[in-house]
Amino acid sequence: MAAASTAAAGADAPFRFPREYSFPAFFTRQTNLTTHHAQLSKWSALVLAYARHHRVFRLGLSAAADSDLFYNRRLDRRLGMPDIRELLDFMRRDGRIEYASGGGGDGGGGEGGGGEGDVVFVYWRKPEEWARKIEKYVEETGQKGSVLTVYELGQGEGTRGTDIHGIDNEVLLKALNVLVRKGRAQIFGQDDSQGVKFF
Amino acid sequence: MSRKGVGIGAFDRSRLTSAHFASHGSNLRATNAEALSTQLSVFRSLLQQFAQTHAKDIRSDPAFRAQFARMCSVIGVDPLASSHTTEGGGGLWAQLLGESVNDFYFELAVRVVEVCGVTRGENGGLIGLAELTERVSKGRMEGSSEISEDDVRRAVETLGPLGGSYAVLQVGRKEYIRSVPRELSGDQRAVVEAVQVLGYVSVGMLRDNLGWETARCKTVIDDLMSEGMLWVDKQTKGEWEYWSPSFMVDTDGAVKEGE
Repeated sequence: MAAASTAAAGADAPFRFPREYSFPAFFTRQTNLTTHHAQLSKWSALVLAYARHHRVFRLGLSAAADSDLFYNRRLDRRLGMPDIRELLDFMRRDGRIEYASGGGGDGGGGEGGGGEGDVVFVYWRKPEEWARKIEKYVEETGQKGSVLTVYELGQGEGTRGTDIHGIDNEVLLKALNVLVRKGRAQIFGQDDSQGVKFF
Repeated sequence: MSRKGVGIGAFDRSRLTSAHFASHGSNLRATNAEALSTQLSVFRSLLQQFAQTHAKDIRSDPAFRAQFARMCSVIGVDPLASSHTTEGGGGLWAQLLGESVNDFYFELAVRVVEVCGVTRGENGGLIGLAELTERVSKGRMEGSSEISEDDVRRAVETLGPLGGSYAVLQVGRKEYIRSVPRELSGDQRAVVEAVQVLGYVSVGMLRDNLGWETARCKTVIDDLMSEGMLWVDKQTKGEWEYWSPSFMVDTDGAVKEGE
């Protein structure tokens, strides 16, 4: 997975699945509307907690369907692909996931041949939330008014030890664009050497 | 003349005697009542002393609190109900127990309502007492006193005046808190009880164990499903299984051991 390289930080402690994960019926789409809504909410919380724990920024669906997130091998129960899609629609309405735009974006390859719509961004922090984090970081380190490269922000030594370090590049750009729209930052330069200035 | 007098006198006398009897009776009743009220006041002061001496235990020790509450209910006083309804009486029990004992239950009741509200979507408004207690305890602040199932049961009872929706329900060997104004039918109770054994039931299980027709089993299961009290698992090798959402808790311990 794309996030595998950044997962090291959270990988020492195994993810503790919530109790509903060991509940067999959790993996079958419930027919009662109220129950189904409760089920979707629980799944949504689980996906976000899982992604946060492993610092997963983008999720390849066909790979995830076979991972322990959606497939409980101990129970031999899994969430089927149509149900995963439905869950993602639910989360999308909540602003918690977003389908990566066609072609899988940069570095999105290797997720298996699901074609378009196979990769989603999982917003365990929404771009707006990341934007606030970044702004706070810039302010606290007194880098307001100076120019930073996007690479520096995401992978540089400066952000090591902060949450921002290791952030997915595309998510980072989405967050920076939030700041641009607010007039708090400006992005310039080419695709692979973009810089950003904070006001 | 005298004869007449005797006749009337006799009437008077009998009236007099009956009046005497009546006054004597009321005297007796008065002394009786006096004695009773003396006893009651003695009892009250004793209970007050007891409550004061053990106030700390009542507040901090769930087992002790349960015993105390049981004692109160055996002698026919409800420490919760009588304290707030008798505003004019100065809230005898509130004085007796200190506000904190009442408030303890009322605060607990608020938490109970919260947890029931949050979980209603997944369990249809029927939650195991043990599960509810666990969830309520988890939400409490660090360092606050422990609470027992008995406390939660009592807290639920204080919700009675709000209408019929909150109630304690005994089904089989398990107690539930019901937070929807809906009674379970006999068949539904039987299924809820059967679910306690393995965590789930299937049409076949009900048919074999309860001796019901298939159609009857299906109807009850559908009813419980439509009320959100059962979850279906279709990924079984054979028949669909219908799970009780309270087993989301009960299997948790088993998983931890299994890991």
